[in-house]
Amino acid sequence: MNFNRRDFLKGLGLASTAWMLPRQLSAQSAPPHVIVIGGGFGGATVAKYLKLWGGNINVTLIDRNAQHYACILSNLVVTGALSMSRITLDYGTLKSKRGVNVIQGEALEVDPANRRVNVLVNGQYSAYPYDKLVLAPGIEFIPPDGNYREDLTPHAWKAGPQTLLLKQMLSSMSSKQTFVMTIPKSPYRCPPGPYERACAVADVLKRRKTGCKVVVLDANPSIQAEPHNFGIAFNDTYKGMLTYIPNAGVLSVDSKTKTVTTAAGKFTGHVLNVIPNQRAGQIVTAAGLANDPTGRWSLVNPLSYASPIHPDIHILGDSQATGQPKSGHMANAQAKVCADAIIRSFRGEAPDPNPVTSSACFSPITSSKASWLTASFQYDPGTKSMKRVEASFAEASSATSDGMQQMFQWADNIFADSFK
Amino acid sequence: MNPPSRFSPSPAAAPISHARRRSLVREFAIAAAVLASLSTQAAPPPGQLLASQCFQCHGTNGRAVGGFESINGKSADDMYKKLLEMSTRRPEGIMDVQARAYTPIQLKLIATYLASLPAQAATSVQR
Repeated sequence: MNFNRRDFLKGLGLASTAWMLPRQLSAQSAPPHVIVIGGGFGGATVAKYLKLWGGNINVTLIDRNAQHYACILSNLVVTGALSMSRITLDYGTLKSKRGVNVIQGEALEVDPANRRVNVLVNGQYSAYPYDKLVLAPGIEFIPPDGNYREDLTPHAWKAGPQTLLLKQMLSSMSSKQTFVMTIPKSPYRCPPGPYERACAVADVLKRRKTGCKVVVLDANPSIQAEPHNFGIAFNDTYKGMLTYIPNAGVLSVDSKTKTVTTAAGKFTGHVLNVIPNQRAGQIVTAAGLANDPTGRWSLVNPLSYASPIHPDIHILGDSQATGQPKSGHMANAQAKVCADAIIRSFRGEAPDPNPVTSSACFSPITSSKASWLTASFQYDPGTKSMKRVEASFAEASSATSDGMQQMFQWADNIFADSFK
Repeated sequence: MNPPSRFSPSPAAAPISHARRRSLVREFAIAAAVLASLSTQAAPPPGQLLASQCFQCHGTNGRAVGGFESINGKSADDMYKKLLEMSTRRPEGIMDVQARAYTPIQLKLIATYLASLPAQAATSVQR
């Protein structure tokens, strides 16, 4: 329900009042309005927790899609082990139970001077005013050189139709064919994700087809997450069928011939899964907020995720440049810090000076065993940054069937904590 | 794609001009003050933000939707002892590693906050 302020004021006979009041008082008295752009794990969580913890705050969540397809578990949709419905998350509970105003629309640009965001909704442009704006748009791809086309060489790194496209290509492979995939230069969304995909694909080809090969071309010098468990998988579990090649950054892609030219040579596959290099979501870049040294990600204050350029704009999840890993679980963790800081700011208070963000994830190594990875971060006042707690950074000693069971429990809970 | 210079109103959130909006916000602030305050936001309880980092796996407000243990409404002392033990024993499971992220003071805050949450049956996953 939208509160019509004008009608309310008219009723009080105050509609023509134009006295000046300090912003602090207006923010404390009228329900402040927070707009959240992007309904993934970060955006959904910040919207939910602003309502859960914030009381009298209006929250509008804007996403171009009617539902979110989780990247979490999506490699198991690629292999056919799970259906799309398992990773499809709608906004119904955020609306009905949490009181979030959800709008399906395309946020096009931010107008920080006037605190408005311009959105295309049902073919019409609208300017939405905000007191605080949260940008959680996820990633944008940097297309590789050549005639790269994602319909011929899918990334499947934003879940949805791309997931189903790669699934269809994988399932139509014949015996003795080759699946070639590329891993982007760090930082990218979900550090263990590409290695998990390599395992999931190798597992299904090993079980269902004869003599298929998997070639993993990594732009990085080594495995970027869970080197122990993925190392065992590559060197032992999938020995003879999986080839891992580090320092193989993509130079160009010919999607029509499914050929990729890398720093380590030229490779052609029957299926070519190119996961391009990444940067902050388009709206962050367009707003001039991709201001880290690489020009790809957004520097923020990790106590609040506020931009130093526009303190009423917060950027969290994959688009931020705090050095914390880009993942759904971390986006959820940051969203809670951000929601708490926004609520405190409406009370005229500073953010919590000692936030902790916690990350955990589970990765299938085979169809029956999964490993886990965890890392947590404490705020370091000396460097004003989130610092990884080294004692909290570890991977499972081995992939286990218990781990597989916990993976689904983890997914159920992170889905619910973010979207329900 | 650039938006046109004119923005049409949306029924969903009734976009309005900035000047008009500011004016309305001020007016509303006055009205609210006259009506003796609409501000109901309480200060965040200590430990709430820290404990919310448990909710990704143990459910919103500590009520897990399945699998992992619900952690709401239990004895603060027991929870603190358990977390402290996890953070100091030889790490095996994922919780032994997770617990190491926090200082003992933070673990105490987390345990106290979780204990303050009402104990309720876990909800089922709607799918």
